Amino acid sequence: MIQHYLILSIILFCLGILGVISRRNVFTVFMSIELMLNAANLAFITFSRLHLSMDGQVLALLVMAVAAAEAALALAVVILLHKHKGNLDTNVFSLLKG
Amino acid sequence: MFEYALSVMIFLPILGGLAMLLMPISRGASRITGLIVSLVVLLMGIELFLGFTGTGGMEYLENRPWIESLGISYGLGVDGISLLVLMTGAVLFPMVFAIFTTQSKGYYANLLIAQGAMIGAICATDLVLFYIFWEIMLLPIFFMIGIYGGPKRLPATLKITIYTIAGSLLMLAALVYVGVSYHNQFGKWTFDIVQLGALDLGGGFAILAFLMFMVAFAIKIPLFPFHTWLPDAYTEAPTATTFVLSAIMAKIGVYGVIRFVIPVFEVEFVRFAVLLSLAGVVGMMYCGLAAIAQKDMKRMLAFSSASHMGIIAVGVFCMNTQALTGSLFQIAAHATSTGVLFLFVGLMEERMGTREIGDLGGIAYRAPIFATFFAIAMLASVGLPGTSGFIGEFLIILGAIKFSGFIGFLAGTSLIIGVCYMLWMFQRVFFEKENDRTAAFPDLNVREILTFLPVILLIIGMGIFPQTFIKKIEPAAQLQIAKVFAMTQSQVAETTVPKPGHNNHKN
Amino acid sequence: MEHTAAYLGLIPLLPLTGALVIGLLYMFTCTTNPLPEKLYGALACVGPLLSFFLALVVFFHLKGLPPEERFLVHNAYTWFAVGDLHINMGFLADPLSALMLLFVTLIGSLIHIYSVGYMAEDKNYGKFFCYMNLFLGAMLILVLGSGPVVMFVGWEGVGLCSYLLISYFSEDTNNVLAGNKAFIVNRIGDLGFVLGMSVLFWAIGASGFDYLSLRANAHNLTPAIGITVCLLLFVGATGKSAQIPLYVWLPDAMAGPTPVSALIHAATMVTAGVYMVARFSFIYAHFPIAGSVVAWVGILTALLAAIFGMFQKDIKKILAYSTVSQLGYMFAAVGVTAYSAGIFHVFTHAFFKALLFLGAGSVIYALHHQQDIWKMGGLKDKLPRTYWTMLIGALALSGVPPFSGFFSKDEILFSALATGHTGIWFIGVLVAGMTAYYTFRMIFLVFHGAPRDKEAFDHAHEPPAVMTIPLVILAVGAAFAGVLNLPAIFGGSLNVSQWLEPSLVEHHGHASIWLEIMAMLASIGVVACGVYIAYKKFGQGAEEPVFTGFAKIGYYKFYVDEIYNAVFVQPYKGFGSIISRFLEPKVTDSGVKLSSWLYQKAGTAFKALQVGYVRIYALYMIIGLSLMSLFLSQTIN
Repeated sequence: MIQHYLILSIILFCLGILGVISRRNVFTVFMSIELMLNAANLAFITFSRLHLSMDGQVLALLVMAVAAAEAALALAVVILLHKHKGNLDTNVFSLLKG
Repeated sequence: MFEYALSVMIFLPILGGLAMLLMPISRGASRITGLIVSLVVLLMGIELFLGFTGTGGMEYLENRPWIESLGISYGLGVDGISLLVLMTGAVLFPMVFAIFTTQSKGYYANLLIAQGAMIGAICATDLVLFYIFWEIMLLPIFFMIGIYGGPKRLPATLKITIYTIAGSLLMLAALVYVGVSYHNQFGKWTFDIVQLGALDLGGGFAILAFLMFMVAFAIKIPLFPFHTWLPDAYTEAPTATTFVLSAIMAKIGVYGVIRFVIPVFEVEFVRFAVLLSLAGVVGMMYCGLAAIAQKDMKRMLAFSSASHMGIIAVGVFCMNTQALTGSLFQIAAHATSTGVLFLFVGLMEERMGTREIGDLGGIAYRAPIFATFFAIAMLASVGLPGTSGFIGEFLIILGAIKFSGFIGFLAGTSLIIGVCYMLWMFQRVFFEKENDRTAAFPDLNVREILTFLPVILLIIGMGIFPQTFIKKIEPAAQLQIAKVFAMTQSQVAETTVPKPGHNNHKN
Repeated sequence: MEHTAAYLGLIPLLPLTGALVIGLLYMFTCTTNPLPEKLYGALACVGPLLSFFLALVVFFHLKGLPPEERFLVHNAYTWFAVGDLHINMGFLADPLSALMLLFVTLIGSLIHIYSVGYMAEDKNYGKFFCYMNLFLGAMLILVLGSGPVVMFVGWEGVGLCSYLLISYFSEDTNNVLAGNKAFIVNRIGDLGFVLGMSVLFWAIGASGFDYLSLRANAHNLTPAIGITVCLLLFVGATGKSAQIPLYVWLPDAMAGPTPVSALIHAATMVTAGVYMVARFSFIYAHFPIAGSVVAWVGILTALLAAIFGMFQKDIKKILAYSTVSQLGYMFAAVGVTAYSAGIFHVFTHAFFKALLFLGAGSVIYALHHQQDIWKMGGLKDKLPRTYWTMLIGALALSGVPPFSGFFSKDEILFSALATGHTGIWFIGVLVAGMTAYYTFRMIFLVFHGAPRDKEAFDHAHEPPAVMTIPLVILAVGAAFAGVLNLPAIFGGSLNVSQWLEPSLVEHHGHASIWLEIMAMLASIGVVACGVYIAYKKFGQGAEEPVFTGFAKIGYYKFYVDEIYNAVFVQPYKGFGSIISRFLEPKVTDSGVKLSSWLYQKAGTAFKALQVGYVRIYALYMIIGLSLMSLFLSQTIN
């Protein structure tokens, strides 16, 4: 019973990873990260239910708060990136290339 | 007050140097400060030397716990082995401040820090404390070569720094091994060298640790084939730094072997003695031969210095009182003679803008005082009797003959090799025809004469009255050798002590 | 007694102090306001003369003692002591060193006086006398040292002064090169000396490393070690005393001023090797094999140098080779254990060879630095005092009775014969003839016949009295010194040999008086032939010949210098530059270079992974995390 929730969480997480790795648009990458965060949240809540402990729920709330803050910061960064290069393709931002 | 003499001698220069960096004082003021601080250290060194009784044990001991859980302590002390090394560190620094007037404030500060760290490394009786000073010593050298050096200073700095740090890290690992072994054997932690002497090491790991220690010291000495940083670093470093490197820092390498390696790794040391002494003589000959092909005076002296260090190392590896005492004496003799020669070359470079041997000539006619001083230092460096160089070299060759006739013979060839390149250089620089550049060379002025005179007198005095120094260092050397033989003979009967027919217990 | 012993330290100290004072005065004034020459001259002569005086005191003190007690030891202080090695800065006067002392200080003083005149026009007057005094001090330490190590101080000290004085005219590169050569070749010998000392110390030195203790313990030496010590010490002697194979520096050493050649390279320093072998007679006498090596090397050197001497044209080179040749005789003597004969030859040779050099100096001085004997001639009337004194020197050198050289040389040849070294005797006689030939070749070419260079001849004049008086004194010595050691057949009793007896360990050979007379007649005959041939060829004046065949090879000294240069010097230099150009940067440093290269390559390899795209980095991260999770899950279970 409980593993269905976990499987869903893993599927969501993998989708998120796939999104981060394969998509080139910064926004899509960002949304994929949010997806992964939510996958993690789902797992937290599932385990919270399983162990009858509130810890997981607390963490999930914390993650949501962090995600909101991160979204604000990330959007600001994205705007700067757009100003800088004129588009949002991640392949354009490759200054770390060796 | 004098019971803390060693601490004062260490931290006065270090704190002085740091203060100099922080205070907004001018270049001239910082030079004067440096001079005063180094003179204070010098006076304390002389006082310490005179008060030293020379019974063979440690004197001026200071010991307080530092990191008690690991048995690391702040332990300082001087015995016959470190006495002359310490004295070179104390005596030679004021000259640098007195002669070179054109360096910047940071340079003087670094010099002071270097002095403090070197004295610290010489006095430390705790292996960890020694290691810390050993590393601190490198920092000012790094800055002095890297910032104030010659045109190719950056590669030279990188080479010396990485080279010596690589060695130091090996030493660190071996040091941990020694501490842990002690803990395993005796159930408590200590890094005090006197107690570590009781350690009974054996097996492949001990050999590995011994080699790691030896590599660290061999790099610093530098022993063939680990000398390749030396010509570059000595040539590119500003004169005073070269002086510090050759006169003092290299000596601490030899000193480290005597102080820390021999007491802990007696068996391994005896086993490798032939190989190591061979490395010493090969290095002596190799660098001596290389010296004759150099066109740059400073580079020639660098090779010459490496060549002499080879022979000093041979004295350490021969394991008898004569050779060891000879090495300890030669440490001081070489510091005065070759060190001063480096300063002279620096002076010539400052005045004529070149140190290419081919560009010079006939200086003896214009500057008889300079030429005489130079000649005395040079003759000491080739080991002429009546100068300091002879006593050490003779004792080393004498001891080496006992150790092995072949090594002794090879060590003896230093008599010939040294004189070849030195005379060749002296001829081209001081004799022959003078040219426009050398004709304008002014002789030493009064300040310079007064600065160099004590060292020149020391060179001659050490040759004529060496017993003043030898009687303070000989008991310690004898004790050290006796310990080595007591340990090795009780442990391994079949170790490779050469010439078993000879009677070793008294020597 | 104690009082006299204390003088021993003073004897070398006086000239050394002189050197210090003169050196300091000169050093601080020569570039600004040079001091007058007279001051230096006077200062320079004080030390040697006082030393001579003290040497006389010591000598007569010893003479007053019974023969077996003729030892004065003065230990000034402990020089250094390490373990069993205990070296005193000690001085020993015994018959051997007293004799050496006497003639070294006497001839040293005379040559100092001579130099006052000879060097009069030199601008570095002070420097010259500083070195000369220094030399004398070092030589006296060498002679007086109470043990081998103290002797070595003097040994190297004289080497240094020799170097400084050979390269005295240092603006000319050749002179400096000659000085370098002398120093380096001497150092090769010194290596032998140091090694010999070391071996000797480990064998018998533990209970005292001075001659008296060593002599007492010498019977403990095993043959192998004893012979090693003898041969190693002899290597030292060949360097200092210019024997095969290390003789090459001495002819070049003539680049120095002539008084230097007389003092250092004829009378005193070069005989140090002979003195050393005689000093160690207590070892050499036990090992006849080592002695034979010494004797043969000596006599072969005598022969070789005599051959070279016959073809030289530089007056000083002739004398130089003759010195090498005479030193060979001395080694032949000490090699066949006739130590007193060797030392006596050292003694007489000091007089006549110093005389010849100083005479040659007068000639050179008179002719304004002309040294080629083919440009001289007929100077007999122009320089009468020089001529007559030099003639006495030449007669003594050739071994014409009754001059001193005859007695000393004859004693050597007879000793060789008496100890059964017939080969050495034969070569010795042959060399005696050659010596007579080249000496008189020189005398005839310089003083007889017609002048070859008219202009120089006209300007020639007898040098001042300060130079000729030493010549006369030396001539007296050269003529009559032989009387001191008259053998029994002339009604003497070998006074010098008897005097030296307590210092030496000798094995006297036995031979009949008829053998002695025959040997003597043979050598007189050969010498007469030599003089006669020289007279025939050069007595009436002769033109400079063009050397061909053997003479040419002889003139070029069998090309030994060139061979040494090709075999030792060039490979040495080549090896140096191979090391500095190839081995050092390419081989020895290759470990360091390799490690830095490896770091670079590794960096390049890892660079490929750094693609610069965020998503790829994320991929790496995920791969890494997955692997870590995998690892953890495996280890936990």
